[in-house]
Amino acid sequence: MHEPLGPIQQPALDAPLFSMRRVFYRYPDDTQALSCIDLDVACGDRIALVGQNGSGKTTLIKQLCGLLMPTAGEVLYKGEQLKEEHLYRNRLEIGLLFQDPDDQLFGHTLLDDTAFGPRHQGLSREDAKQVARQALQRVSLLDMAYKAPHNLSFGQKKRAALAGLLAMQPNVLILDEPTSNLDPHQEEVFLSLLRDFSGTLICISHDLIFLYELCDRAVVLDHGRIHHDYTLRELVSQRQSLREHGLDFSFRLVHSGSSCDQNKSKPLDGPHRIPTLPDVSEGKSLVFLRDYHYRYPDGTHALHGINLSIHDGERISIVGENGAGKTTLLSCLLGLRQGLGEFRFAGRLMTRRWRKTLWRQVGMVFQDCADQLFCPSVREEITFGLHQLGNSRDESSKRLTQALSMVRLEGFEERVPLHLSGGERKRLALACVLAMKPKLLILDEPTAGLDPQGEEMLLGILCNLNVTLLIVSHDMFFVKELTHRTLVMHKGRILEDMPTHAFLEDERLGNLNELSYTYRQRSSSAILTMQHKHEHRHLHHHLHTHRHRHGEVEHNHFHEHVHEHIHRFTHIHPMDEKNHDHIPRRYHDHDHPGHESEDHDHDPPEHENETDDHQ
Amino acid sequence: MADVINIQMPLWQLPLFILIPVAVLAAGVVWLRRIAHNRSSPGEDRDWSVPPLTDAAGVSLFHRWDVRCKIVTILVYSFVIASLSHLASALAAIGISLLILVITRASFAKVVLRLLAITGFVSMFLVVMPFSAPIHNGDTVLVFNGMNWLGFNLRGLRLAATIAAKAVAIALLMEPLLSTAPLPVTLHGLSRLGAPEMVGQMVLLSYRYLHVFRHEARRMSFGMQVRGFRKRMDLETLRAVGNFIGMLFVRSFERTERVFDAMQARGYRGRFPEPVELCLRTKDLLLAAAWLAAGAALIAYDRIAW
Repeated sequence: MHEPLGPIQQPALDAPLFSMRRVFYRYPDDTQALSCIDLDVACGDRIALVGQNGSGKTTLIKQLCGLLMPTAGEVLYKGEQLKEEHLYRNRLEIGLLFQDPDDQLFGHTLLDDTAFGPRHQGLSREDAKQVARQALQRVSLLDMAYKAPHNLSFGQKKRAALAGLLAMQPNVLILDEPTSNLDPHQEEVFLSLLRDFSGTLICISHDLIFLYELCDRAVVLDHGRIHHDYTLRELVSQRQSLREHGLDFSFRLVHSGSSCDQNKSKPLDGPHRIPTLPDVSEGKSLVFLRDYHYRYPDGTHALHGINLSIHDGERISIVGENGAGKTTLLSCLLGLRQGLGEFRFAGRLMTRRWRKTLWRQVGMVFQDCADQLFCPSVREEITFGLHQLGNSRDESSKRLTQALSMVRLEGFEERVPLHLSGGERKRLALACVLAMKPKLLILDEPTAGLDPQGEEMLLGILCNLNVTLLIVSHDMFFVKELTHRTLVMHKGRILEDMPTHAFLEDERLGNLNELSYTYRQRSSSAILTMQHKHEHRHLHHHLHTHRHRHGEVEHNHFHEHVHEHIHRFTHIHPMDEKNHDHIPRRYHDHDHPGHESEDHDHDPPEHENETDDHQ
Repeated sequence: MADVINIQMPLWQLPLFILIPVAVLAAGVVWLRRIAHNRSSPGEDRDWSVPPLTDAAGVSLFHRWDVRCKIVTILVYSFVIASLSHLASALAAIGISLLILVITRASFAKVVLRLLAITGFVSMFLVVMPFSAPIHNGDTVLVFNGMNWLGFNLRGLRLAATIAAKAVAIALLMEPLLSTAPLPVTLHGLSRLGAPEMVGQMVLLSYRYLHVFRHEARRMSFGMQVRGFRKRMDLETLRAVGNFIGMLFVRSFERTERVFDAMQARGYRGRFPEPVELCLRTKDLLLAAAWLAAGAALIAYDRIAW
């Protein structure tokens, strides 16, 4: 890890809205969370607060809204220290959006909850309700104003939580992972709402593509210190710096084509390559569902006529909007829920009796890995399932070592799962399942809550697994990199069952299923361009026009000539190579100052219309 | 003084006296559950842009009744029911409760669910009390095959039925009490009657987060099941359940802290905003008086007529 920059370049600010002066914060358990934080936030700033899990981002934003008081140093808001009456008065101008919307929706109904802030701002009951209605209208939830928060979908809860803040008409909006666990459509809705916000915005996220769309300035935290404070464009264009802070998401930008497209046989540009697609034309299905239905006890029809066949060694993704029935389908495959219809596993009909033994052959990593970690040590956590399988102590110990090695958690045996970072917990949950050697491995939103470094590590691990894989994800990059086949679910049905590359190329499906990726593609291209814009010296051709002489004749026409000079242009590198060759190119479209005065030949003009092919 | 009347019965009829009531109750529970399920199945989703109580508010007295009056009246009336000592008056109380349910247009499914909640308690009385009630002079006891120690006391059965009827009559009133006003309004009324405000806030938040904790517990339980956990009678199970409860507690505690942070961030300083402005009118008092008079009449009937 590199040392933090010396004096951090702060933008020239006349009167900063927030000023943090040499702020230190230490938790009661003696963990030093923030060290020597100096930060100015100007009115109207749009700041991306980034850093690895545990770098102190959430602690910092809690300081900004007075939920935590610094151990040393001071936090100023509008020039005055943020405490006591000044804090209580001004806190109402600072909106804080929590990562989990359930933390924030404590009202009896959506309207009650949204009006909570305005009531504390001193508005009358009726005025507060009016403001709350307007805020709900902005997030398209007015038609659910009297619904209880626990009856909303996750995406709706997120929007409702934002409405509660917008109703307070805050000057500052602080967001902690606003888009985590949202489907692409909900994400885009959220993005649009935040773009419209005119005040100061501070956003924590691991999703730099999302931040790129929203923010101008980036503050990078590392181990409780600010390491960088510059523009977001600078942050995303400096891959080396991103990598040092565990934020390098560039592996997502490398265009690998459809990695699982066996016909194209195109190798991955990235370091990961999944096993080839097995021949599924013959042989029994590992999982077979025919006309499968599931209805919740409250009568909600969650699955309608599911027909599905999964063969040994296949890698399949399930995509669909929040509430499409993906997780219910997984529960049925795990034997946790019993629907109606034919369900066979490895050829055996899953009756009530056999359903209870499915756990021996099907393993699942949950979206929130905290749901499956409950033991006091990593060792106990992994051996819990092995003990249930009836493994001997020696066998369990051997598998424990193997599983930890597979997920790169060697030496973690005695650690407490609760104290691990998000990425480590996710890998531990995976190790718990892998140790049981399941025939079918199911992953529900594997990238949820992971920082880019954790994502890249997880991708590497999953690529190297030789197991039948079923992934539910909104993350199209993971879907593309890890699977051969994609099931598109919508309102409890499987709409399409197709090769992943075909799904990714099918815009119709994306729109139908409200899975919009347009802004991600746009941002990715822009970031890719910035990351690969640098200088090279090499021979290349020019086709351009300027006035010059042929003997006595002075005229102006296109001509081509070859010469070598330092040259700044954009192109794609294979992976992360620093030294690479550039074959002499044909034509570049760029300025060439002073060219007229250079000595060069003027051959008969060539009127070719080829363009720069470097991109 | 009348003697105890012993009626000799063959032994084979003993199971009938236990199994038949249990079977009838079980059938009743299944029937009620089915009704509740059918009535609560989502059909057309309701319009959530208007308050849920709007439709009934115009027609039901209970919806317009001052919440403080309503709480006090129903509470006092519940004590009146509890003090009844005869089956006939307890059945009359059920009749009054049913009448109130009709007036308030209470949800039948919710009423059934409330009844189901007390079924176990009521069943225990009906099965145990006939065999355990002390035998007094004048009692009629069914004796099986000469086993006097296992007499089925009909007075015990009547006593159990009276308790069950009182419990049902009070349980039926919970729906008019809790469903004719939003919970925050009811709790606000309670605090205005002198209950600590903090208790009301805790109940409100508990109600909101009960669902969240339930979902968390279920997901964690699934997490254990997919790794083979099955409840058994051994130390391993105890250990796993202990870890589960501990982890649930830790998560709940962490969430509590985050919720409190979120409340503070939106200006909370110890008080929830008042959901409504309460206003006591003469007709509220008249309605309370009328109802309590009905309660007094019920007691009189119970004490004088029997």
